[in-house]
Amino acid sequence: MTIRSSFASFAGKSTYWLLHDVLHRGGTSLPGKIATNIDPDILKNLAQDFDVVLVTGTNGKTLTTALITRVLREKYPDIITNPSGSNMIQGITGTLLTAKTAHNQRPLAVLEVDEANVVLITKYIKPKVFVLTNIFRDQLDRYGEIYSTYQKIVDGIKLAPNATIIANGDSPIFMRDDLPNKKFFYGFNHMDQSADFKAPANTDGVLSPTDNSILHYHSITYANLGDYFSTTDDFKRPQLAHAVTKINQLHPKFSNFDIDGTTFQIEVGGLYNIYNALTAYAVGRFFEVTPDQIHHAFESNAQIFGRQESINVDGKDVTIVLVKNPVGANQIIDMIATEADDYSLMALLNANYADGIDTSWIWDANFEKLHQTNIKNVITGGERYKDFNVRLKMAGFTDQAVYPDLNDAIDAIKAVPTKKVYVMATYTAMLQLRTHLLEQGYIKGRVTE
Amino acid sequence: MTEQQYNVRVAHLYGDLMNTYGDYGNIIALRYYAQQIGVEVSDQLVSLGDDFNADNFDFALFGGGQDYEQSIVAPDLQRIGSEVRRFIENDGPIIAVCGGYQLLGNYFIMADGTRVEGIGAMNIYTENQATTRFIGNVTIKNPETGEEYHGFENHQGRTYLSNQERPLGKVVIGNGNNGEDGNEGVIYRNVFGTYFHGPILTRNGNLALRMLELALVRKYPTVDWHSKLANVTPEFF
Repeated sequence: MTIRSSFASFAGKSTYWLLHDVLHRGGTSLPGKIATNIDPDILKNLAQDFDVVLVTGTNGKTLTTALITRVLREKYPDIITNPSGSNMIQGITGTLLTAKTAHNQRPLAVLEVDEANVVLITKYIKPKVFVLTNIFRDQLDRYGEIYSTYQKIVDGIKLAPNATIIANGDSPIFMRDDLPNKKFFYGFNHMDQSADFKAPANTDGVLSPTDNSILHYHSITYANLGDYFSTTDDFKRPQLAHAVTKINQLHPKFSNFDIDGTTFQIEVGGLYNIYNALTAYAVGRFFEVTPDQIHHAFESNAQIFGRQESINVDGKDVTIVLVKNPVGANQIIDMIATEADDYSLMALLNANYADGIDTSWIWDANFEKLHQTNIKNVITGGERYKDFNVRLKMAGFTDQAVYPDLNDAIDAIKAVPTKKVYVMATYTAMLQLRTHLLEQGYIKGRVTE
Repeated sequence: MTEQQYNVRVAHLYGDLMNTYGDYGNIIALRYYAQQIGVEVSDQLVSLGDDFNADNFDFALFGGGQDYEQSIVAPDLQRIGSEVRRFIENDGPIIAVCGGYQLLGNYFIMADGTRVEGIGAMNIYTENQATTRFIGNVTIKNPETGEEYHGFENHQGRTYLSNQERPLGKVVIGNGNNGEDGNEGVIYRNVFGTYFHGPILTRNGNLALRMLELALVRKYPTVDWHSKLANVTPEFF
């Protein structure tokens, strides 16, 4: 380490100590920022001590990173990861700066990296593995288009040609470039493979990269993910190294399924979470974690699914789920559709920066499908309650109660005619609701993740 | 005799490629209002390689897309361009958003400088901006009706009208067509072009009712649609 790096590291660690032990505040971004200001190359020096697994994509990064960490810990005790929200360059610098490792072996760092920050990171860090989850439309007001998001990731991978790519094989966008890296793909193989159809019209990213024809599918899990193929040439889904071979049961609170013939259960609903588990399985197998060990890792996973927690509000069983884009919302709708009991839906919409400032996406989500579920009552709220109110009204849900002030929302929950309540909320709306739940004693601890 | 069934047949132009910001919501809104006066709204996707016969449709939605998809759609659109122009010249109503709006004009320049030809159904054109985009909430006022419209704009293109078209509104808040002349969108015959997401017909019920009436009067001229629609409450937010 150079003198400059040493000083940068000292300054960053001191800041972390001040924030964490003296002021009792979390956060790794400020220490990272201070260290980087002193030595822009600090990240390169810090990362030399780690084998890095870089996880990126638009949806499911946080949970996938947590699951991968859990799986790898079965075999590798010396492992660090970045806290959710610290997925830009300064947060990652701070994570590595303040990591406490035993150094019995070369430690692993499982890092969730924001899509647009991949190239900034790989300028300094050469990961051992890239994990690519998916690319869906997400806060495009920030990054533009799915292809430019993809390009940013690829630009980053090109700086690390020796890294292995473990990618979602069901996502056609990851096959646009023939990168020299070694690659493994994972996907779903549990459905009939003889069908031939196109994705619904409202699906993004369905053009074949070879000739821009519209892709066909043998099966679709959701959105544009599935066993795709071209009818004009031989472009098709790549060979899968690991696959979901059977879905045994879908439930709002758990999923039971087979990967490569072995049965697994995760204590969270939603098909998208099976993808997250499959990703962790594929990464685990790459690092020679056994299926038995992975099974063990998945068994003790309940607390890491924090974004989909259940809360008891005076006898109401309230499940809060985060929504931020149409693909995610459709997955939540599908998850709620597995609810066997009558339920009420509270839909909360804000449009602050962290939510995405454009609310148009709610019109791409298939709220009409809720009519096929056990929904009994609809409540809308949040700063942009009017948008959600009209969206659901036009989906055929008249007579909605409306709660612009989320302080009143808890009373609304108590008053619904069903025991079960699903709250679908954007990020800052969720935080606001949690603040009120905390104030009224229904949850404990801190509001932020 | 059963009561006559009225319907509006919507062509969703390139709906599987030009579908970036909830544009399908415009059809949801149209259907929502139409149902209230007993009119059925059906929609059909018209995409790469599909025929478009102007006589088979009463309304069209041409949504926005990403530059990439838009560059694929543009050459295919030339194939049905004359029929789309015939639909427009016969006063067929179209709501054209963002990329769809641009492609009905003479040309547009993509972010990377590539020139893409439109079908010249309107005498408008779209330049690019080097590095910035117009992003944010937007409010406009239609100078003829005095109505205000709300939306969200997110575009790189800068569109300019000729003296053959009118703007959909004058910008109150936001950037509009090009950030310079205070115009937002276009009205040409029964074509309504705009950069508004939101989508425009969901957030601006008055405009949705106006376009629905245009479609119905054109198809069923002997019915008093104006009185029927007078009892429908438009959503506006």
